[in-house]
Amino acid sequence: MSWATRILKVGRIVQASPAAPARTVPSPTGTRASLQIRHVDAGSCNGCELELSGAFSSVYDAEQFGARLVASPRHADALVVTGVVTHNMRGPLIDTLAATPEPKLVIAMGDCACDGGMFRNGYGVAGAVGDFVPVDVELRGCPPTPDQIVETLRKVTGR
Amino acid sequence: MKRDPVASGTAVRSGTGVASGAPAVSGGVTAALGALGVVVGLRAVFGAPLHASIGWLVPFAGLRIDLDPLGGAFMALTGAVAAAVGVYAIGYARREHWARFPLVMLPVFVLTLLVVPAAGSVTTFLFGWEAMALTSLALVLTEHHRDEVRSAGLFYAVLTQIGFVAILVALVSLSSASGSGDFAGIRAAAGDLGPALRNGVFLLTVVGFGSKAGLLPLHAWLPRAHPEAPSPVSALMSAAMVNLGIYGIVRIDVQALGGGPRWWGTTLMVVGAASAVFGVLQASVSADLKRLLAYSTTENMGLIAMAIGASMLLGASGLASVAAIALTAALLHLVAHAAFKALGFLAAGSVLAGTGLRDLDRLGGLARRMPYTTVLFGIAALGATGLPLGAGFVGEWLLLQSLIHTPQGDNTLLSLVIPLSIGALALTTGLGIVAMVKAFGIGFLARPRSEGAEKAREASPTMLVGMALAALGCVVVAVAPAALGPALTRVASTLPSVGGDQGPKLGAILRLPGAAGSVSPAILAAAFAVAISLVLLLARWGVGARPAAVVRPLWAGGGPALTPRMQYTATSFAEPLQRVFDDVLRPDTDVAVTHVAESRYLIEKITFRTAQADAVEEHLYWPVVRAVAAVARGVRKAHTGSIHLYLLFGTIGLLVVIVVGR
Ligand code: SF4
Repeated sequence: MSWATRILKVGRIVQASPAAPARTVPSPTGTRASLQIRHVDAGSCNGCELELSGAFSSVYDAEQFGARLVASPRHADALVVTGVVTHNMRGPLIDTLAATPEPKLVIAMGDCACDGGMFRNGYGVAGAVGDFVPVDVELRGCPPTPDQIVETLRKVTGR
Repeated sequence: MKRDPVASGTAVRSGTGVASGAPAVSGGVTAALGALGVVVGLRAVFGAPLHASIGWLVPFAGLRIDLDPLGGAFMALTGAVAAAVGVYAIGYARREHWARFPLVMLPVFVLTLLVVPAAGSVTTFLFGWEAMALTSLALVLTEHHRDEVRSAGLFYAVLTQIGFVAILVALVSLSSASGSGDFAGIRAAAGDLGPALRNGVFLLTVVGFGSKAGLLPLHAWLPRAHPEAPSPVSALMSAAMVNLGIYGIVRIDVQALGGGPRWWGTTLMVVGAASAVFGVLQASVSADLKRLLAYSTTENMGLIAMAIGASMLLGASGLASVAAIALTAALLHLVAHAAFKALGFLAAGSVLAGTGLRDLDRLGGLARRMPYTTVLFGIAALGATGLPLGAGFVGEWLLLQSLIHTPQGDNTLLSLVIPLSIGALALTTGLGIVAMVKAFGIGFLARPRSEGAEKAREASPTMLVGMALAALGCVVVAVAPAALGPALTRVASTLPSVGGDQGPKLGAILRLPGAAGSVSPAILAAAFAVAISLVLLLARWGVGARPAAVVRPLWAGGGPALTPRMQYTATSFAEPLQRVFDDVLRPDTDVAVTHVAESRYLIEKITFRTAQADAVEEHLYWPVVRAVAAVARGVRKAHTGSIHLYLLFGTIGLLVVIVVGR
């Protein structure tokens, strides 16, 4: 019975979720509590990735609010783009958005994605995400915390 | 078009001397002979037996023709294949510029194929058999300027002659013991023959006829000769000639000897199951389209031998009604195999003629350039998978039913053999699907993997007509096997030892007497057609209300456009299977990594080489060949050139003769 006692001892891992924020962004598909996300790393320092994986970990568990990471833009309703857009990732970013079926949403995550952040004007940098694809939601922070990420996603999923 | 000398199917280019109408004449005569075979064969199946005797044609014994329903059925089947191949050969020979020799040999080969099942006496049979072997050998060697063809010819010649010797010994001892030179006489006297002779004849016929049918272990000529022969010839060999191996076993062991003890059937089942599983495994890892089809022939002949073995075993165990189902399965699958394998080889020939390739790793994308051939090959491949709506389904289903419905009781032999053969059958069918999905998917779909495939040319009209004839056969067997019912009943009635007189009736719904289970291919096909049209109708419904389609670039994982190199190849598709069955297949793979001189972490190049050899050939044939060569070398040592030594040998020999003969 050691596993049972251990479960009892550890208790609840998932953080108690705060009250749902107001639904400020209309869900692209018009449904509630369902958002399929394809993540694109356009040239990030990987700080944002760490926090994103934290947001989807068992502690913050963004999936309980209806957000899911999917493997292909063909399955996605929204793109989460992290990092500044580098010259090499400019084409793939545009292609990925083209490969995502309509209606769709672009979430720029992190200061880099929103306006170039600390890498702005770097030699390999082409620009911010908004310079190349239309951005619907901006999520500031360097990097944004999992709490912030979950909160932003909940604004879209409405849960 | 640049042609690869290895992969090309170009025949010996005729310089001059072959009139432009010659292919039409050769193909036309072949097709006419085939049609004649169908008519005569069917008359023998349904009408009175045909007898004819031409004294002067074959030395010593004369030619003797006796056509009963069994021989008639094989003749009609051979004729049907020949008719399709003949029409096809008109276009093929023209496109591949056949020389005069193969043009003449093709109808001769068909004639010998028709003589064998019609033979009424041992001499006529052996004469026809050897003539068939020689003409087919000559046709295999059409492109004799290539090394592979010569080596294939050698393999074929040796194995077919080993088989012939076995058949010769069996039939001659049978006819001398029964005091009669014709099959009817042998049959009448078969009951009085001693068990030793009967057993010996059985074993020899399994070896001899098995080598022609491509059964293990004398199958190795098949995957060599069929790919190297011109495609119409491969089709004739694979769809008509190998059948005659089965014919020999049925004619001699089942009909003339009237079956035997239970180990006969068991032996045939074991050989058949081993051939089926081994053949399909080799087919599923083969990257050469025609080699794949050749191994699939070994597989299907194995299944047919298994079915005949099952019917013999069950007949000898007193289970006549189940035995009859197995016999029907064997006969039906024989017809189905002839149809889909003829079509398969003809379509492979069209691919070879249209692209110069038969290497699946370099084909692909033919669906666009050769749409008709693609559809026709698809019909053949579906037939070979044994799935419903394919030609091979009904026969395999019947065989499975006969095995499942065998009451095993407390019979140890049956309760051991039957479940194992069900397993072998299931494995064979499953792997058969892999092999055919590979042949069709890699060969015809996706994007072309080489320049040859990119510039493929659709087959000429006569080739398409020939293939369409074979496809018609496939569809009939798949959808309306009932059409074959009356003929099969007549054939089975000549084989009472395996319960042939109480076989299942092939109506629109196949019902099995004395066993639960029925299936209706026709209703299945109709339901399928209705479902497809419903889906199409629904898809069209409300098309106007939907937004117009938008064209976007292909999603390539964010990278640049997909290239043909990113696709699965036949080798990579079969790789997991090759890994799983490593111990049986024993592939010869070799990976060599060259590192950059400055650092072991950087790789300059990787060389990967893989070759799929035949394990049986490697571990059975070559040791024998090496032993013979070693003995020959030993004998050569005695040949020193010294006359004194030779005199001594002579004296010793003489002494031995005197002492022994005293
Ligand atoms: S926003 Fe900050 S954490 Fe995110 S990619 Fe840019 S620098 Fe890294």
